[in-house]
Order: sequence, then C-alpha cells, then structure tokens
Amino acid sequence: MNEPAIAVTNLVKRFGDVTAVDGISFDVAPGTIFGLLGRNGAGKTTTLETCIGLTAPTSGSVRVLGLDPTRRGDFAQLKRRIGVQLQATSLPEKAKAAEILDLYAAYYGVRPRTAELAERVGLEDKLDRFVGKMSGGEQQRLALAIALLHDPDVVFLDEPTAGMDAFGRRILWAEVERLKAAGKTLVLTTHYIEEAERLCDEICIVQAGRIVARDTAPALVAAHGGDAFIDFAARGFALDPSLDVLGRWTQKGERWQVFVHGEPGRALGAIVAHANALDVAIDDLDLHRPGLEDAFIAITGEALDDEAASAKAAA
Amino acid sequence: MTVLRILLAQTRANFVWYFLRDGEMIFWSLAIPVFFLFVFSFALGGGSTKQTSTFLIPGLIGAQVLSSGFWGVGAMLATFREKKLLRRIYLTPIPSWTFFASLVLYRMSLLALQALILAIVGGIVFHVHVVGDPVSIGVILLLGAATFVSLGTVIGAVVRSTESANNIASVLTVPLAFLSDAYIPIDRFPAAIGSVLRLLPSTQFIDAFRGIAMYGDSLARYGAWIALLCVWTVVGTVVSARFFRWV
Repeated sequence: MNEPAIAVTNLVKRFGDVTAVDGISFDVAPGTIFGLLGRNGAGKTTTLETCIGLTAPTSGSVRVLGLDPTRRGDFAQLKRRIGVQLQATSLPEKAKAAEILDLYAAYYGVRPRTAELAERVGLEDKLDRFVGKMSGGEQQRLALAIALLHDPDVVFLDEPTAGMDAFGRRILWAEVERLKAAGKTLVLTTHYIEEAERLCDEICIVQAGRIVARDTAPALVAAHGGDAFIDFAARGFALDPSLDVLGRWTQKGERWQVFVHGEPGRALGAIVAHANALDVAIDDLDLHRPGLEDAFIAITGEALDDEAASAKAAA
Repeated sequence: MTVLRILLAQTRANFVWYFLRDGEMIFWSLAIPVFFLFVFSFALGGGSTKQTSTFLIPGLIGAQVLSSGFWGVGAMLATFREKKLLRRIYLTPIPSWTFFASLVLYRMSLLALQALILAIVGGIVFHVHVVGDPVSIGVILLLGAATFVSLGTVIGAVVRSTESANNIASVLTVPLAFLSDAYIPIDRFPAAIGSVLRLLPSTQFIDAFRGIAMYGDSLARYGAWIALLCVWTVVGTVVSARFFRWV
C-alpha cells in the first residue's frame, strides 16, 4: 500500500476570530508513529480532531485511510477502523471499568476481551472500580483500552500521558511499541519531549497553528540542536593549536567549556590525551549532547514546558 | 438484531449507572412523588382524600413525564455533551439514534416504575382505583412522553452549558406542573387565565391522561388535544434534529 494512511492538505480551522490551525499539511505513511509536538494551544488537538471527524475543517482537506471524515458514509466506515484516546475522555462516573469495556465491545461488535485488555493497560485489579473512583491516570488507561479494543488500523492518541504517573507512561509506551510492531499507524499529540523523542518515527513541530519543522528526531536534532559541548575542570590545563580547532572554547578559572564542531567523542579523546600529556587531572567532566528540546527551542524560540516558560516569563 | 442488543445493553447500563447507583436519584424520583401524594392529599383534600388523590396521582405521574423529558433527556444530553461523553459515543460505530433511544427507554422504564408505585400506594392508602383501559392509558402516556422528550431534546440541542440546561429544565418543569392541572385544579384559577393554561401541551396531556386513567374516558374524547400533542412532538423532533450537536 503506497497510499498514505493519513493525508492532511492545507488544513485551516477558525473558531470565530481565532485561527487554531493555519494551513497545515502532512501525510503519514502506514506503519508510522507520527507525533505532533507543540505547546498547549498550538493547534495539535484541533488538527487531530479534524482527522477523527469531531471538527469540520474551515478549509482544506483530510483523508484517513482514503476516507473523508466530513462525509457521512466515509465517516461511518472510518469509525470502525480508527481507535481514539481523547484528551479529556469522560466516562460515566458510576460505571465500572469492566462494564465499560463490555459495552464498548458491543458497540464495535467484537468479542469482549475485557480481562486481556485490562491486563494490557494495567487495570486488572481495577475492573470492579467505579470510573469516578479511579485516578486520572487510570481513567486515561481505561480510555486507551477502549481505543484499542476493536484492533483499529490507525490509532489517535491526544496527549496520552497527560496526568499519568511513571507506571502509566511505561504502559502506554509499551502499547505504542506493540502497535508499531503490529504495523499500525499512530498519530499522537504531546508536549512531552521525551515522549516524542522516544516514540515517534516522525515529528511535526507545531507552533501557532502551523508546522514549523518536520523530520525524525535525530534529524531535527542534527539540523537544529546546535553543538554538543564538553565541560570539565582541570587545574593546570592549557590549550594548544591541536585543541583549538575542536570548537569554540571558553574558560573560567579551572573550568573549561568547548562547543564542539562535529562528533564530540573524538574531541573528548583529544582532550583526555592532551590532559595526560600535560599530566593534569580532569575532574567533573560532563558531555552534553544536544537533544530534541534544544532543537525545539532553536526552531520555535520558546520553551516547550509551560511551567518553565511561565517561570521564564515571570522572571 | 445487533443494534437491538446494543440498545438494550445501553438502556440497562443507563438504568444501573444513573438510577440504581445514585441514591439521590432514587430518593427524588421515587420517594418525593409519594411524599407529595401524602402531603397534598391531606393538606389540599378539602373533601375526601380519595377524591383528592384520584386527582393527584395522574397529576404527579404527569409531572414526572414533564420532568423526564426536560431533565431526564434534555438537560442530561447537555450534561453529557459538556462532560465530553457524547463525543466519545459519537466516535463509536453505533447508529447515533441508539444512544438517544437508550436514554429515552431508561426514563420510560423509570416512569413506569414511578407510576406503578403511585398507583399501588394510592390504591392501598387512599382506595384510589385506576379504571381506565390499559391500552388507552399506555397510548396517552407514550404520547405524552414523546411530546416532552422531543421538547426536552430541544433544550439539549440548543443549549450549550449544563448549567443553563439545568436552569431551563427546572424553570420549565416546576412552574409548568403547577400551572398545568397537575396539582392544582385549573378551575381554581380565574377563568381567563384558566383558558390560557388549557392551551399548554402539558395541561392537555395531564387532563387527557387523568380522564382516561381515572375516569374511564376514551381516547377519542381527547382527539383534538392528542392531535396537538402529535404536532408538538413533530415540531420538537424537527427542531432537535436540526440543531443537535454531538461535539
């Protein structure tokens, strides 16, 4: 199948005067884990909601598995083939987890696999618990189980780990890897760098309703992450011309820092060899490779994390 | 068949989730009407309590029909939408009317339970007898339910927030019950006001229901009002279908 699993073309969505999505285009090859990374309010959720037929585009088009979610007949077919975990899924408070899973199995006309699904999302002990008595993370995992229960071809996850603890995140990540191994296509929105870097084959960075960069995580880092740097303390260390060419050096007393051009491993070797030749001891050495977060900041000019951003704004 | 099975499973789930597991709901929907029956029968019963309760029981059931439509379906849909429960349902492949129908069926079964309890308590305590033809009673009750469910759904379709839906539902239900011959006989109002109140679909429904159930009237006697209730049902359904939003 060469046709993309998802094709979004010149998507625009306005709510009154507010332009939530301002001309987004992308396509997703089958079997890809595709991430929309951006801050809250960047337009990720609106983009995802147009793909699943919850929001009609103001202009532009969306095709999922070749189907148009704005057309009634297409949408009806599509609903059986996509699984969705929404950001704020609300399920009836007085329903038990097992009842929800059984009922949703009936909706999709599939054999209930309640026990198996519960185990996969780590809720096997919580099947008799009322939804209203579950933690936010447990509710999210129940929503994930609903999204997967009919074995969909394309899975949409909107901020899947928001409010989840470390256990929930591990479960979700394991499920994503399982889906990838099964050849499913996944679209997820996130504002967690680690999640995007770890899970996604391809990342779109979304800012103010537009895609500002799109690539694999390593390629984004290589293009935008900037130089790695090595930071160390060494009493009696001195530069010589062979080290000068490694990169841009700064010195503060005994602390040295170099922003390395190219591969930092070789630079590290040269520094250690030079220190040995000078017979000086190196303390407290730190090698910082640029990550996706550095690339994100370089591309968007802002921090991803809201708390960090607002702390910065306050300062 | 599958759709029917889903409908029944969802109706049963609604009954368990929103009624059996909700103590407050059980209290308000079962105890309060009986409490009203006692208070009103003794407080308002100038003549015999039997006469008063014969008047009151269909009125109390009629008021529950109004509240099922406005609260049970109308405001509930707005709540479900605001809590983002409707959109979750919308994304499943079940035909959209199934969810709506399950909500109506749940309220209808609750209504049947309420009517049964009022009729039994009325029979034992006040020696009130339901003399009407069961089929005619069923027809007029279903028609009333259809009318107020479809009008209630207009609230659920047009109003965005749970809070305003609840406000509208209570503003409609409580005063309407008092003005529609449910608790207070309409001839206690000045004649001019009374004739206006008789134009209300709620008055027409409650009067027809009372006449058929308690005094053995035939459906045909209320033909004009039944036709009007059908018109309200159609109007409510058309407006709801036009404006209803899942998201």
